[in-house]
Amino acid sequence: MSKTNIARTAIFEPLSSLLVDLLRHLRYFLVVAEELHFGRAATRLRMSQPPLSQSIQRLERELGVRLFDRDARRVALTDAGRQLLPEARDVLAGEDRLRALADRFRRGEAGALRAGVPPDLGGRAVAALLPAFRVRSPVALKLREIGTAEQLRALADRTLDVGVLRLPFDVSWLSLGEVLTSPLGVLLRPDHPLAAAPDVRLADLNGLGLVLFPRATAPALHDEVLTTCARHGYTPTEVHQAGNAEFALGLVLAGGAVALHDGVSPPADVVWRPLRGTPLLWRTAPAWPRGRHTPAVTAFADAVAEVLVAQGMRPAEGTLPRYPRPAAEYLS
Amino acid sequence: MSAARIRAAFADAGVTGRLHAVDLADPTREVAVGADDPVVLASVFKLPLLVALLRGGADLTRRVTLRPDRRSTGPTGIGGMVDPVTMSLRDLAFLTMTVSDNAAADALVDVVGLDEVNRVLRELGLTRTTVVHRARDFMHSMAEDAAPAELPAALADPVVLSRLRALDPTRTNRGTARELTTLLTHVFTDDRYELIRRAMALQVWPHRLASGFPFDDVRVAGKTGTLPTVRNEVGVVSYPDGGRYAVAVFTRSASTAFTLPAADAVIGTAARLAVEHLR
Repeated sequence: MSKTNIARTAIFEPLSSLLVDLLRHLRYFLVVAEELHFGRAATRLRMSQPPLSQSIQRLERELGVRLFDRDARRVALTDAGRQLLPEARDVLAGEDRLRALADRFRRGEAGALRAGVPPDLGGRAVAALLPAFRVRSPVALKLREIGTAEQLRALADRTLDVGVLRLPFDVSWLSLGEVLTSPLGVLLRPDHPLAAAPDVRLADLNGLGLVLFPRATAPALHDEVLTTCARHGYTPTEVHQAGNAEFALGLVLAGGAVALHDGVSPPADVVWRPLRGTPLLWRTAPAWPRGRHTPAVTAFADAVAEVLVAQGMRPAEGTLPRYPRPAAEYLS
Repeated sequence: MSAARIRAAFADAGVTGRLHAVDLADPTREVAVGADDPVVLASVFKLPLLVALLRGGADLTRRVTLRPDRRSTGPTGIGGMVDPVTMSLRDLAFLTMTVSDNAAADALVDVVGLDEVNRVLRELGLTRTTVVHRARDFMHSMAEDAAPAELPAALADPVVLSRLRALDPTRTNRGTARELTTLLTHVFTDDRYELIRRAMALQVWPHRLASGFPFDDVRVAGKTGTLPTVRNEVGVVSYPDGGRYAVAVFTRSASTAFTLPAADAVIGTAARLAVEHLR
């Protein structure tokens, strides 16, 4: 047994039993004061009379004053008893409040939920998320706008309760809500010839640069995007790493580059065109550390799904055939 | 310093990695990155299995027959064959290490017993390495946990992966990077394990630990372990000057793709950074 445990056994248990005893004695005191009759009070408390009398005597010893004048015929409050009665009521009401609040925390109805959302989620989604959460949970929602890598760190060091993250990320220690996808298109300068067509093939983008989020913020996704582009015949002349939407937009407007975008309220001075065959998509899911699930987390995950679906995102559908190679060591 | 570079290499390859490396000539010289975190062993469990086999005194020339309807399956070795195979215990051990043969390994579990493997681990002072099931058990658990989705496609779905017992170190074969280098130290400093050392040196896979040491005069003896998003290898790297280093690397990838050359290669890169620090 560790030092802490010894200390707890030695101090915490007597302390807690004293407190619980005091509260119990006070509760009995209240009933006797209301009935002014030990027999009727005992009946109300569904106990026999002797332990009730002992309890009142112990409380009187504990407080060092007599609470009742009692003779063979009648029981009356002493002056001290009369003065202490409202205090006892306050203490017991305080206990009720304390237990009720603890219950609300346990049921996930109190406190705050600290949640992260990716910076490129968009203002409308954030605006819709708050009311969508509020109708599902009474706890306060504290939203922070942070990227996937940073959210993972915050979830790990417990400064965040739940996040909305772009896949892929290491899920080994996380639980995931529903994965939603948004097919990507490209932002083009309005005078670019490709802007005239209803959609664009990735291979048509050869000769143009690609504006992408900084690789360090999500190396796995960054590489996945470039691998997919290459597989579909597009090798960007240059990969510009843009940390914010305004800078990405600037690079597109300057000409010679395209940026990926999900087509939800694209910026006004450029043209959005979908990619033919939806070769690229963002996959987004709420995630929280395994074993730290609360009703508020469920409410948040449901609110996220509602808002993102309303925005046009769809559940991931149909998987590609998969052929594990012998070095995978499993499946045959 | 080298730990920070190793962490950066893992992040750059899109994986979370744990590593422990130790100089066999001086075990106080080490490199540790998350070396005491619990990790999923996957096929690395075959190393303690063989250690227990060699300590158990079974007649290694005894021949057993593995019938196709009764043995475990897998993509390599007997696990991938169609006809009955009769082979000595030591050749089953050879296939277990060189090609990670699931059928051979599970047949050896029948000989040794999982309780004996764990008893041997405790005897060697390893308290956090535990083998709770054989290859076919964690394969079955993956199919069960993935249902109703079907393998192998379901194994690329992150939601499915987040519920697989086979990927949860509290519920499958587990260890720590540090305990695995301790086990390697026993294997590479005690002659009774010569059979394991030879088989690890003949392991066929070039893409992980070995990829970090592309030198004809450096020998790499290793054992890989792989499951969806899990890529591991433990082994010993031997230099011509006599320097020998035990390295254990355990990774989890962000991407759920089966084919991720960068995630395989970073095992070699990280091991090389660690070994160069120790040299």
